[in-house]
Order: sequence, then structure tokens, then C-alpha cells
Amino acid sequence: MNKLKKELKSSFKGIRTGILEDNRLAVSAPKDAVLPILSFLKNKGYEHLSLISCVDWIEEKELELVYVITSYLQKNDEYADNERLHILLKTRISRENPEFKTLVPIFKNAEPYERELHELFGINFEGNKRLTPLLLERAYKIPPFRKDFNTREYVKEKFDKISFVEEKKNERA
Amino acid sequence: MRELELYFGPQHLGMVGNFSITLKVEGDQILEAHANPGWLHRGFEKLMEYRTWIQNFPLVCRINVIEPDSMEMVYAMAVEKLAKIEVPERANYIRAIVLELSRLASHLFGCWAYANMLGFDTVAQWAMYHRDLILDLFEQLTGARVYHIYICPGGVRRDLPEGFKEKALNTLHTIGGCIPDYDATFFNNRLFYERAKGIGKITREEAKELGVTGQILRATGINFDIRKVEPYAVYDKVDFEIPTREDGDAYSRVWIIRDEMIQSVHTIMQCLEKIPEGEVYKRVPNPFKWNIPKGETYVRVESSRGELGLYMVSNGKDKPYRVHFRTPSYPHGLLVLEKLLKNASIADVGNIMISLYVTAPEIDR
Repeated sequence: MNKLKKELKSSFKGIRTGILEDNRLAVSAPKDAVLPILSFLKNKGYEHLSLISCVDWIEEKELELVYVITSYLQKNDEYADNERLHILLKTRISRENPEFKTLVPIFKNAEPYERELHELFGINFEGNKRLTPLLLERAYKIPPFRKDFNTREYVKEKFDKISFVEEKKNERA
Repeated sequence: MRELELYFGPQHLGMVGNFSITLKVEGDQILEAHANPGWLHRGFEKLMEYRTWIQNFPLVCRINVIEPDSMEMVYAMAVEKLAKIEVPERANYIRAIVLELSRLASHLFGCWAYANMLGFDTVAQWAMYHRDLILDLFEQLTGARVYHIYICPGGVRRDLPEGFKEKALNTLHTIGGCIPDYDATFFNNRLFYERAKGIGKITREEAKELGVTGQILRATGINFDIRKVEPYAVYDKVDFEIPTREDGDAYSRVWIIRDEMIQSVHTIMQCLEKIPEGEVYKRVPNPFKWNIPKGETYVRVESSRGELGLYMVSNGKDKPYRVHFRTPSYPHGLLVLEKLLKNASIADVGNIMISLYVTAPEIDR
């Protein structure tokens, strides 16, 4: 695993790697290095994209995209024990203008994850042709999974205005 | 022939769960399918950011209705990893027993759905009955039948009750003893073979490309199981096999479910045999004042459907900063389903969907 760490550091500029813990390697990369790193890892045998996630760091005014990459290694595989890795590849994009490139040409299964992040965090993935609504019923002013969307306030605002059925009856009478 | 748009679900007899597919059909051939989730979206991951680490447990188990225990397990594992808590050995054994029991219950439920869809009502009723026997065990162990809220950070909520081992062995023998009956009426039945062989076929490369895990991947011949690759609980101390098949069709997937049930029964019996004495719970700090140090983690377990992962971020407060579940049905129910339904016939929609073992609440969360 140290080998991979060194290889990553020598091939790509400006990346920072975290401490390795329980076979989990966190890598922070600048925006434009993410897709080359992912295709590099895919060629190395890390061909299973587990998850694309996003964290809203509201105080730093940034959104952090997290790609979790693992490999389809099997028991008794030729991979050494110390190469059983998860890689958490992270990059930060601006919160005001959330744009990123799509991962679909490299990993096909990125499509629904990007759809979800587009809907819940408002990130626009350039090149993903299917950024249609996935889970939500209606559009919101602030994408609902961002930190400044307060569910409790939203519920109050939205549903306190709707009167109960009994109240309506009384009004009519 | 004219092209028509056909809505399959959420109010459809052939649909299991709150899920819908929009089909573009010509005659009875499907030209295009669009999976349409979101009927059960409750925004659990957002709600969890408003609740303390312990308060989240009643939410976590509700993400997957059919198999809540692996959800609790993955959440507890993430919290333990962030807070650096060690779990007592006996608790690990009990966790493995609970996880395998719930895998068994979930697979029996899957057998019910599949057999019911093909019209094998007798087998379906047997499977439901046997699942109920396992729910009885859960009731004795945890006090609840469906949502147990039993696995918690630091161990499990309480020790095995008196007489649990005997009752569990009795139940397992009952279920194991019925396997020849299941085989004779269903798994070796010519009708099942004719109906499932070659349906919903996916190759090894396609499966890898689409991020497939679980039975669907193992049905294409890849021996990938997180219980073996990254053992958690006590899976490195018990002896069990990972059934695989080569064809990648509905027939192989359902056979793998059957073989996994047998392996689960063996695993539970070994755990009950080997379980050591000791405490089952390591005290955690007062849950209302429990601040977990800053950090992030990704943990994963093998649920009955495939890789179940959890990405969790803590910012040092008493509530999680971000929780994101990677559920196995997510790639299966969206991409794989859409791919396999293309050029299939309308009569095979239920067959393909149920053999993929998709649970809608897992996709929506």
C-alpha cells in the first residue's frame, strides 16, 4: 500500500495523502486531477466504484466530493493482503458555483450517484446526460441536503399554513 | 406495431414494494425501461444530522425493512471506528448469530416473493412460515419481531436469554430438515428451470462495470464476499463457503440464495457452539453528552443483497455531520434492472426484478 501511495504522489502533482488506517487511504486532490487519478486507479485494478458522496462544509463555503474506490478482489487472489484498500478520493468545489465533470465515461455506475447529488446538493455534473429528478417530488429553492436547508423550519413554513380539516369546517359554518 | 408507454408499479400486482418502472413496449417486447424510485424517500440521511449518535438507531433499521440488522451493524461499526471502541468477544459472536439469522429470514422472504411470482404458492407459504419461526427467535432475543434495535455501539443490548440456544437449534433443524422438500417441489422443478433459465442474463464484465455486488455478482462466477475479504464480527473464526455459479441468469441467482441459506444455518450452529462466556456490552459515555472525535470513515458489510457501506463524517460534536449509505439495491435496482429489461418480454418483468432481489426502501432511503 505504501507502494501505491508513492506511485500516486510521483504521478500526480498537488495531492495530499492521509495516514493509512485499517486499509483506508484518504487522498485529497485538486479538481482537475480527480478524473486522471480515477482512471489511473481503475487500470491498477481498483475497478469497483462503491460510492460517490458529498459533504457540505458550509463554514468554508465549499462542497467536498468523495469517491470511494475499492477492488473486486477475491479470497486467495493474487493481491497481497496489504493491498486490500479502500481509497477515499476527495476534492473540493465551490459552493456558489458547484460544477464538476462527470465520471460516467470511466465508471458507468456513477450515473445514479451523480443524479442524486445533482438533486440533493445542486451540483451540476458536466457531461452527464441524465440529470433528471431521482428521488424528490418537487424542486426546492435550496437543495435539501445542504446544511443551510433546515428541515424543521421548512416543515413549519410549509405545513403550518395548511389548516386542519375541522378548522375549515368551522370556517364554513 | 405501435409503441406504448406502460406503467409498472407502484400500484401493480406484480410489483414488490414501493417502486415503479416505466416501460416503453412494442407488442409484448420491452424497448426501454426507466426505473423510477422515490416513492419511499424519507430523507433519513438528513434527519440523522439532527439527532444524536444513539437517537439514530430507530431510523437506521428502517432503511431496509426486510433485513434491518445489517443496517444496525454497519452503523454501529462506523460509530465504533470513529470513537475507537473495542467490542467484547461474546458480543461479536451474538452479532454474527443475529446477522446470519436475519440473512436467513431475508432469503426466506426472497424465496416467498420469487415462488409466489412464479405461482408456486405452496413453497411460498412454507418460506413465509419458516421466516416466522426466525421472527419468533428474534422476539425472544430482542423483544421485537421486525425492527430489533439490538446491535448498538459497544456490543449488543442484552445477553442471550435462557433456553435461546436450544430453541435456535431446534428452529434451524426444522428449517434444514425441510430443504429436501423445497428442492423436490421448487428448486429441482422443471417449471422453475424452464421459467428462469437464461432470463435476465448478465455477464461478468457487465456486472463489474455496473458496480454489482452480492448474489448477482456471485452468479457470474466471481467469488466476492465482504465476509471473506474484510472479515467483521467473527466471520474469520467460523468456517463457511461462498456459493457461486457461472451463468449469471435468474436461475443461478435463485440457486445461490438457496445455497447461502444452508451456509447460514451452518454458520449459526458453529457460532452457538463456539460462543465464549463474558460480557456483551462495553459501556459507552453518557449518550446525551457523547461527542465523537473529528474524523471520517467508510465501513462495509455483506448484507443479504450485497455490499452495504456507510460513509460517515464527524466534526467532533454530539451528532453526525454527514451520513451516506451505500446500499446494494442502489446499482441493482436502477442500472442493472434497466439494462436487463431491455428487449425482455413483459411477462418477465417480475421474474427479472425479483431475481435481482431489489428492495425499494434501500434505494430511496
